[in-house]
Amino acid sequence: MAQTQTRTRPRLPVQPRPRGRSQGQRDARTGFLLVLPALAFVAVFARYPLVFGAYISLTNWPLVGAYHFIGFGNYVSLIHNTVFIQSILFTLEYTAIVTPAILLVGYGLAIVVRSNRRGATVFRTLIFLPFIVGLVTESYMGVVELQPDSGSINVLLSKLGIVKASTAWLVHTGLALTAISVLVIWFASGLTMMLLMAGMQSIPRDLYAAAKVDGASWWDMERYITIPLLRRSIVLSLIISVIGSFLAFNQFFILTNGGPGTSTSTVVMSIYSAGFAQFDIGLASAMSVVLIIVVGLISFAQFYFLQRDVTD
Amino acid sequence: MAVAATRKRQRRKNYNESPLWLYLLVGSLVSAVFVVPLMWEIFRSFQPATAISNPPSAATFGHLTLENYRALLTGQDDIIRNVVNSIIVAVLTSVLTAIVATLAGYGFGRFRFRFSGLAFGMILLALMIPFQAVLTPLFLELHSLHLLNSLLGLALFYTAFNLPFGTYVMRNSFLAVPKEIINAARVDGAGPMRALVSVLRPLVLPGVATTALYAFLFSWTEFLGALTLMTNDGLFTLPVALSNVETGTYGAVNYGLLIAGAVISMVPCIVVYVSLQRYYVRGLVSGALKG
Repeated sequence: MAQTQTRTRPRLPVQPRPRGRSQGQRDARTGFLLVLPALAFVAVFARYPLVFGAYISLTNWPLVGAYHFIGFGNYVSLIHNTVFIQSILFTLEYTAIVTPAILLVGYGLAIVVRSNRRGATVFRTLIFLPFIVGLVTESYMGVVELQPDSGSINVLLSKLGIVKASTAWLVHTGLALTAISVLVIWFASGLTMMLLMAGMQSIPRDLYAAAKVDGASWWDMERYITIPLLRRSIVLSLIISVIGSFLAFNQFFILTNGGPGTSTSTVVMSIYSAGFAQFDIGLASAMSVVLIIVVGLISFAQFYFLQRDVTD
Repeated sequence: MAVAATRKRQRRKNYNESPLWLYLLVGSLVSAVFVVPLMWEIFRSFQPATAISNPPSAATFGHLTLENYRALLTGQDDIIRNVVNSIIVAVLTSVLTAIVATLAGYGFGRFRFRFSGLAFGMILLALMIPFQAVLTPLFLELHSLHLLNSLLGLALFYTAFNLPFGTYVMRNSFLAVPKEIINAARVDGAGPMRALVSVLRPLVLPGVATTALYAFLFSWTEFLGALTLMTNDGLFTLPVALSNVETGTYGAVNYGLLIAGAVISMVPCIVVYVSLQRYYVRGLVSGALKG
């Protein structure tokens, strides 16, 4: 349709006749040249490493020296790699803890900031700040404040009679997981809040007005109007949380370095230590391929849910 | 006037609303949970190191000093060099991402060419491949390109992983420009680049700001990639350099330095975000509602 329009458009007298090429051909060439740099960047720094990584995963690639092709040897050895399996289970456990919590807290926050009332914009900005500052910086703060005896968090909680002032949060698996989960929920809820708020604000207000006329309570309106119409935003924020927690590295590296032992080691941490501490690049790449497949499946599930939503 | 006021009242009535004072009280308390810890750390960074490694007590509250910052910026740690590294990488990343994403968005949004859908998909697909999973091969690749241990190499890597979002935002920006404006520019004899620079630039500038802002914040706070691709202390970005401060690589562990370093890395994020907030939210909403 658009093409026919271009072709039948009368050529204006001011337009110089192009050298041998039609307008459409020139446009096509210009368009391609414009997107070429972006394509090159993605190809060199994202696509090529992906393919190269898949290839390396089939070899016994050391950091220096010759390598041999070993087929699926690395993948087979992963099945018996207890540290890797443990890191997958730990990452799953961590994901199962933080994801629902982030959704619930984020939903609650979105209820507070979604209105057009005075103050809502300021609250939104303030609640979002931990996300903007970033988990790395906040993990360093956590290192200091979680120290037994001297950390503010310990002092505060012991004054409230919740824990002993000498609690060593970061050298005990359960306590470290608790502390890091709370830190992450505090950090990430603002993002979920923003996503859900945007969804809530796009729900037509008339629905609430009508429900109110019918005598619906606050909870009825959340339950039967907001939540069903918000499904898309809820799925999206869940996916972001799930993938984010699946790729967790920074907070664990900084706060526990995977310890005690390897009990708080995440999948990405296993990859990092296989590649850059043990220099077994082939094995690290095989682990990466497993991670890509898992994350790909999650993304695919997202796509599936969102598509189904549209056709509903 | 009266109509607008009534409409506003009606809109407010649609959610079951509590009195304003109660709303402000609840909102302030909730916000405090998220902001007070950050403010507390700023306060802590001005305490002497001895006060930080001992239980906080009211007795030491009055004693504030710049000691941590002075030690951090002039001491052996030489954190100022790492701050400069972080600035270089973040600025390079946001400028490169803005330029390349603008060109690509222009191409995808305003020109028809064969395989453009495929190319757009290729770029967007990168969103689904986590960079955490390609760091090992990327390390080898950058090594052979002599881009390992290079601020430029790090910025190129960051740019590549910010381009999918940037290209998406910029394509939408160009699609939102009315066709008449583009045609008018063309009739006036402006070539594609001329039209971009003199006619389209002001119209897509908010999109450029969004793209650059996301790239800046990503680069400023990124840790794992910088940790992996930089092995020379002098080239560390600030977040990675702080891990040396944490473990006391240069001597005794000094938590005063760590807090001061964390505050130095926090402040630019807050300043940039608060001043360019509407561009940030634009990106969030466009990603959330269409993505």
